[in-house]
Amino acid sequence: MEYVVKTKGLTKNFGKEKPVTGLDMKIPKGEVYGFLGPNGAGKTTTIRMLLGLMKPTTGTIHIFQKDLRKERVNILKRVGSLVENPSYYPHLTAYENLEALRKILGVPKKKIYEVLEIVRLSDVANKKVKGFSLGMKQRLGIAASLLNNPELLILDEPTNGLDPSGIIEIRQLIKRLPAEYGMTILISSHLLSEIDQMATTVGIVTNGKMIFQDSIEVMRMLSQQKISLKVNNSEQAWRSLLAKGIKADYKDDTVLLSEHSNKKIAEAVRTLVQDGFSIYRVEEEKRSLEDIFLQMTRGGKEG
Amino acid sequence: MIKKLLSSDFLKIKRKGFWFLTFLGPFGVVALQMVNYGVRKDYLLQQSDNDWDYYLLNVSTFTPLALVLGIVILTSFMASLENETNAWKQLISLPVSKMSVYLSKFTVLAFLLLISSFILMLFTLAYGVFLDLGEEISYFELFKFSFYPYFAGLPILALQLWIATVSQNQGIPITIGILGVIFTYSAFILPDWMIWKWPSLINEWNEPIINVLLGIGVGCLLYIVGMFDFTRRDVK
Ligand SMILES: Nc1ncnc2c1ncn2[C@@H]1O[C@H](COP(=O)(O)OP(=O)(O)OP(=O)(O)O)[C@@H](O)[C@H]1O
Ligand SMILES: [Mg+2]
Repeated sequence: MEYVVKTKGLTKNFGKEKPVTGLDMKIPKGEVYGFLGPNGAGKTTTIRMLLGLMKPTTGTIHIFQKDLRKERVNILKRVGSLVENPSYYPHLTAYENLEALRKILGVPKKKIYEVLEIVRLSDVANKKVKGFSLGMKQRLGIAASLLNNPELLILDEPTNGLDPSGIIEIRQLIKRLPAEYGMTILISSHLLSEIDQMATTVGIVTNGKMIFQDSIEVMRMLSQQKISLKVNNSEQAWRSLLAKGIKADYKDDTVLLSEHSNKKIAEAVRTLVQDGFSIYRVEEEKRSLEDIFLQMTRGGKEG
Repeated sequence: MIKKLLSSDFLKIKRKGFWFLTFLGPFGVVALQMVNYGVRKDYLLQQSDNDWDYYLLNVSTFTPLALVLGIVILTSFMASLENETNAWKQLISLPVSKMSVYLSKFTVLAFLLLISSFILMLFTLAYGVFLDLGEEISYFELFKFSFYPYFAGLPILALQLWIATVSQNQGIPITIGILGVIFTYSAFILPDWMIWKWPSLINEWNEPIINVLLGIGVGCLLYIVGMFDFTRRDVK
């Protein structure tokens, strides 16, 4: 598979502090890669290393199959980024801010109007950024990251400070980009719900370690439902199921079936009815991605 | 790459008072002599045989101070431009080498100060002519007092830019800057090796050109050290 980003054993130490340790990140081409982790997990530190803002203590980074250490400038020509809080020059207008970047990137001037249009800041193009709201500054940052038609777009918590409609807008934009421009996107967040709706691949990091990295489908599989049975005498019911060789768990006065094919459930219910239990409820218990995420990250902390 | 960076940097310094300071420095230096000569012109003209040389000497008393003050303020402005919203990370994420980013910052400042020196020469000449100091204008002395301090001051520029760009705390470059201004003010009691003495063009051999050459040499050295330190560090 062709990986746009591939890190091996990426590690960063600040003295005693080790925000990133042995991180292997693989981002296939054309994916929206959701980079998830709680506060302080090392997401921003990783992203800073991907952009050459920080040198890794150990480990390697390949972007577009090129070594970042050797070909930083050539790689960055094809990368757009927004790291943490947006940077801007408050005394310049939105247009001038982009112009300052455009001059360095060497793209045509019409690109400025184009990206301003995308983030819907065209109306305030000639206003000083000083007076912008947080959300507007965030949009300007996103506009800046799109200026050079990047093949890889790296966005660190891009919906920070945006209102719900702004979040939806950015989300739609991010979903559109891979299809329309063939972009690969790395987007970090500490909210799974945010990533869930746009990511195609997920990487979960805690304490600087990657604890899960796969497609969102695989992650959804993990979240698959369990069937819970409410029975008049749950504990006995559970024992009698086990006695018949049906896999089940007992928790909080409910019986949980780990197999959820229709056939197996029917079998379990029949068994219980035949044994004279009263079945009150048969329910599907869905584990949200949020639950899995929490469980995983908690596991990472213990480990 | 450097041309693009320069044009971007010149755009960024708009509306930030850079150009105003570039003009204010030399204007201030000559304005002091306007006051001086305005109040006691007759007395001053009696002080020497060569009124032009004496006038240039008077002007040049305040040049080093204005220059060093200008360096401290401009470098700190330049650093704050990128520090204010931590724009370093955005700038360095662009396809540019860190060396050229640093070179561009230095070049803009060196250029502004050169313009300042040039304006100083024009102002000095204009007011000198206005004072009607005689036919014999010593053009070489005029050039010397306008541009020598600039070259002799390059190490201070390199040092201040280095400290301002790598310090997390902007109190450090400001403190060192203020110390530098005090040093420059007391140049005559400083030992010759102190860089803050050099813009005053004083040395034990009475050869101002030594300060110029030292300034360019040590300036280059400090520039290179600063640039490598800047590229070596993680971006804030
Ligand atoms: N320059 C630095 N010096 C020392 N420690 C640092 C530095 N930068 C980051 N850290 C530490 O590294 C850890 C990870 O920080 P990082 O910003 O990468 O987390 P994050 O995943 O982006 O978190 P958030 O969701 O809050 O943005 C933190 O504990 C932080 O204190
Ligand atoms: Mg972060």
